[in-house]
Amino acid sequence: MPESHASYSSHKSHETHGTAETKTVGQLNDELLSSLRAPTRRWYLLAFFLGAVVAWGLFAFSWQVTHGMYVTGKNRPVMWGFYITGFVFWVGISHSGTMVSSILRLSRANWRRPILRAAEAMTVFSITVAGLFPLIHLGRNWTFFYMIPYPNQRGLWPNFRSALLWDVTAITAYIIGSSLFLYLGMLPDLAVARDLSVGWRRKLYAVLAMGWRGTAREWVVYHQASTLMAALIIPVAVSVHSIVAWDFAVTVVPGWHSTIFPPYFVIGAILSGVAAVITLMIIIRRAFRLEAYLTPLHFDNMGKLLLVISLLWSYAYFVEVQTTWYAHEPIEWEVFSFMAGRYTPQLLIMLVGNSLLPITAMCFKGLRRSIWVMLVVSLMVNVAMFIERFLIIVPSLSHKNMPFVWGSYSPSWVEISVNLAALAGFALLYTLFAKLFPIMALTDVRELEVREAHIPLGRTRLPSIAGKE
Amino acid sequence: MEILGIFSDMESAGRGVERLVRAGFTEAQITSLTSVAYPDGVLVRTEQRSWFRWLALAGGIVGAGAGFCLAAGTAWLYPVQTGDKPIIALYPTGIISFELAMLFAIIGAIVGMFLEMRLPPLGKRLYDPAISEGCIGISVSIHTGGGVMACRPGEGPGECIGSIASISAGEQQSLAEGIMREAGALRVIAE
Repeated sequence: MPESHASYSSHKSHETHGTAETKTVGQLNDELLSSLRAPTRRWYLLAFFLGAVVAWGLFAFSWQVTHGMYVTGKNRPVMWGFYITGFVFWVGISHSGTMVSSILRLSRANWRRPILRAAEAMTVFSITVAGLFPLIHLGRNWTFFYMIPYPNQRGLWPNFRSALLWDVTAITAYIIGSSLFLYLGMLPDLAVARDLSVGWRRKLYAVLAMGWRGTAREWVVYHQASTLMAALIIPVAVSVHSIVAWDFAVTVVPGWHSTIFPPYFVIGAILSGVAAVITLMIIIRRAFRLEAYLTPLHFDNMGKLLLVISLLWSYAYFVEVQTTWYAHEPIEWEVFSFMAGRYTPQLLIMLVGNSLLPITAMCFKGLRRSIWVMLVVSLMVNVAMFIERFLIIVPSLSHKNMPFVWGSYSPSWVEISVNLAALAGFALLYTLFAKLFPIMALTDVRELEVREAHIPLGRTRLPSIAGKE
Repeated sequence: MEILGIFSDMESAGRGVERLVRAGFTEAQITSLTSVAYPDGVLVRTEQRSWFRWLALAGGIVGAGAGFCLAAGTAWLYPVQTGDKPIIALYPTGIISFELAMLFAIIGAIVGMFLEMRLPPLGKRLYDPAISEGCIGISVSIHTGGGVMACRPGEGPGECIGSIASISAGEQQSLAEGIMREAGALRVIAE
């Protein structure tokens, strides 16, 4: 570069959003692309640890493949256990990343900018992890391709009247859609990364940036495409979790056969997803020293969102239980009584984690702006949400309509290992992504810097490009 | 043919664009290269209308048709009798059609966006990595002297071509280069 950063006078004067300090474009690039620096020893240790947990999960899965499904805790009448719990949980997590990003894009909320990438990447990796669970759950996993519709000599064709096939279709659509949404958001950042990197990284970013130059026309089309994609991806996200809810609701299993299930699942998914975005924001902020960009304001706003969603979830849960209680339909009440009796601690953790804790804590501005409080609350929400998925699945299957086949379920070491490996796998994918691609929406953040830069006018200073997008 | 001036700040880049327009170059010939988006008119004016959304719509329609064929068409070809349920059920067909319609619309939007941006480019185009560091590029497309520029709807040839069309491409290039250097360009790159 023949010119130094100091020569870019107009950008030198931009005041960083949320702070009083002045940063050059070069400094902004350096800080926002800090995740791309060469990995440290701690990063390798983390990747090794996560890789080891994934390897353990793969071992557990191969154990299941070679020994048969008896190594899981599944048995009649509970044929859906920890795997489907994991599936519903991860689909839920995936729901919110794209959803939050899309809604904030469409509403043109400026505080969205540092959050976008973390949320969108979360969706892609969590839906990928979620998509593995039904395959793991199948039994005879090597025949999974029977689900793929193509003419074959077996004379088999997928039955699209089954809700499980709706899942396959919806999740495929969501994985592709959210991956394209993530890629679209990264396009201008990849061009910046291309210009600032060397070696194989430069080649990689050059291919992915597709020759982006940032012409005025490219920016116009890009913004229109971003808005259109945000509008298109929201109904897909809602449909995915509604369809997962229909896996349950269109059956006649007591506790599942309920019209409130799709909206209840969607709200639960948004709750766990928002909490997961907050957790990831905290980790990214700390790991890459991005305190100046992920400010207490962002946590404050996400906390308000968490509060609203938690209130909605509490209302939906109350309606579900209140209807069961008031109608007192014997088998429905039996399922609830069994759940409350057998899984009392889990039920209490679920109610505290999903309702009591977020609602009380997120009412206070000071707590919303406290990073540690937000970390505890967001982690608790997701622990509670995993339990909630478990409590939806297992008690209903344990006590169905025929008392002579009532039973119970405890997960085996294989199922626990695979679920832990899924968590580690998600974290590993995210860690690798953060090292390979800009984890912060660089150009979005810099655009805000430009818009909020102040220029002197007489004795005062006015915004250079006020608000207009 | 294209010529690219690299400016250190927005003010000098804006000054350069103003002078180019005053010299007879048209807005359609001038574009800015920036690493962040600026509102239309801050540096250059662009055509706001785009067609790629029609491709998204077409994708959605094709996807809905594909979904219908997949769910209803194959149920008809490979009938599975389940109780008294219909072979072609409206509800699942609607769900599959919806999912594929949205998927194809999304793919259509992305493909259309790249087509409209003309990315990836077929040939090499002028660029300077300093743009990612905050510099602003002003690019002028030089058209062959006497040629006819594409006019915007409602514009007559006189308005959209301007006086610049009367001089040769080489003269246009040196004129644009001179204007940009005078406006404060750090350097000017020509094809």
